[in-house]
Amino acid sequence: MGLFRWGLKHSPWVYHVNTGACNNCDIEIVDLITPRFDVERFGVQLVASPRHADALLVTGICTRQCRPRLQEVYRQTAKPCLVIVIGVCACSGGIFHDGYHRWGRVDDAILEVDPNAVFAYVPGCPPKPEAMALGVLKALSML
Amino acid sequence: MDESPLVNELKAHLGAKAQWVRETSKDNIFALVRPQDVPDCVRILWNEMHGRWGVITGVDVVGGIELLYHFIFDKHHRVVTLKTTVEKPFPEIESVTPIVPAAEWTEREAMDLLGVKFRNHPRPERLLLSDDWPEGVHPLRKDYQPKDPNA
Repeated sequence: MGLFRWGLKHSPWVYHVNTGACNNCDIEIVDLITPRFDVERFGVQLVASPRHADALLVTGICTRQCRPRLQEVYRQTAKPCLVIVIGVCACSGGIFHDGYHRWGRVDDAILEVDPNAVFAYVPGCPPKPEAMALGVLKALSML
Repeated sequence: MDESPLVNELKAHLGAKAQWVRETSKDNIFALVRPQDVPDCVRILWNEMHGRWGVITGVDVVGGIELLYHFIFDKHHRVVTLKTTVEKPFPEIESVTPIVPAAEWTEREAMDLLGVKFRNHPRPERLLLSDDWPEGVHPLRKDYQPKDPNA
């Protein structure tokens, strides 16, 4: 394991993308990064620009309007970039599966840009912060 | 149930413009108006009676699109709703945004999702649907097919 991978595993910076969520998952993400669950002790830090990100936290169904924007955000991240798909809507569509404005799954949208992207799925409505932390750790173990 | 004094006040202000004014439940008063009288009635409720603007609700009913203009009267603890029906297939009504600026987005929403045309709207642009959504497909209409091949 090179220095680069070692650094990535010990301090993955995350960027939060909302592609049409109801804000429930987003509130849980706020719970995840604030002192109660405090994943910053594992080096997970929320960054303001996708260019600084090692992982994307994607919430919400992928709407038609958001698909090109999500793909653009993914293109701008530094590679390798993990994608942590949070919530049942982002994983499979959930109750919005047949909604008129849904494009498809988040992973399909990103696979269009990068066929080798690495995903971690955290289903739940919303998932617990512990589950999200486990998702991040499992995705890191893939590297 | 005692009738709210607001009902008589509404009857006095709206006059012949309201076909009827009824208190349908503890909190709600409905007034049926013709589509061409809607701007006048909104002006009366907004400027003269000082109601608080709520929202416009649109429902696809048989023969037309029903538009419900909700005003809130906090002192009376009542919601007053102006009810009108615009006829399909080309529902069209005068915009109330020049009178109540806050109505802009809710009218644009009805424009997107139900296909109601608001005459003299200051910014008749798309609000909720995506940029690549086809013209003339309105997802909250009853005749909308899920997974529309055009959409």
